[in-house]
Amino acid sequence: MNKRTVVLAQSLFVLALFAVPSFAQDEEALKKDLTAVIALQGLPCGEVVAVEEQAESDYAVSCKDGNMYRVYLNAAGRVVVEKRK
Amino acid sequence: MARYAAVLLLLFTADCAKVPPDPRASQPQPEVVATQAAAPQPVATPVAPTTVPPAPRVAASREPATPPPVAAPTAPPAPLTLDLDALEAQLRATKAIGFFTKISLKNQVDDLMKQFREHYQGKTGRTMTELRRSYDLLIMKVLSLLQDADPKLASAIVSSREAIWALLSDQNKFANL
Repeated sequence: MNKRTVVLAQSLFVLALFAVPSFAQDEEALKKDLTAVIALQGLPCGEVVAVEEQAESDYAVSCKDGNMYRVYLNAAGRVVVEKRK
Repeated sequence: MARYAAVLLLLFTADCAKVPPDPRASQPQPEVVATQAAAPQPVATPVAPTTVPPAPRVAASREPATPPPVAAPTAPPAPLTLDLDALEAQLRATKAIGFFTKISLKNQVDDLMKQFREHYQGKTGRTMTELRRSYDLLIMKVLSLLQDADPKLASAIVSSREAIWALLSDQNKFANL
């Protein structure tokens, strides 16, 4: 392995170290945001534990209490929370 | 009327619209959201902002050696005015409320404004008491989102709460929003 490869590998490793926490923070912020949105609609959830982005501003959400919702921004600019089965 | 949604403090839209950050938001915001009116005062004593915690006054009253200001007891309380722009800027800038939550809150603010509009137009049987309940509930939702992550803004909203209600509950003031 030449020196250049080693340096590249080290750089990627360092980059990954920084990138993972940042992604995790974004993920946590999104979960918190969606938890608040669901609560504001008066729907049961407890806490969002999993989020899957289906499209832009359109999320499939799983809650700690087992409820699942679709949270999206409709064309009228309203945040809609729909219960999923 | 279109100004409403913008004004009603309650505009949480900024971040929601994904527009470039409002330059006002990046500037230092005045801490005072609800301030004393600029109406002429009989005594030229600067009036303390209402958002300032009452602690200094309490401390002053506990200080027997310090004579109270002469004009203080006689000065009539000036009516509150709102710095809605400052409040709006702070709400736009706060990171305590997420993107979707801000939109969701704005939706609820718009709904409440619509209810007020219908009330004043006589199109609904909703009473002012019911509107007040809805208003209080909405404020509580906002406060619950802010109180831990942005207590300063939460405090500003608490201080502005009655002044905002005064705007909403007065038909003439509401029409001028």
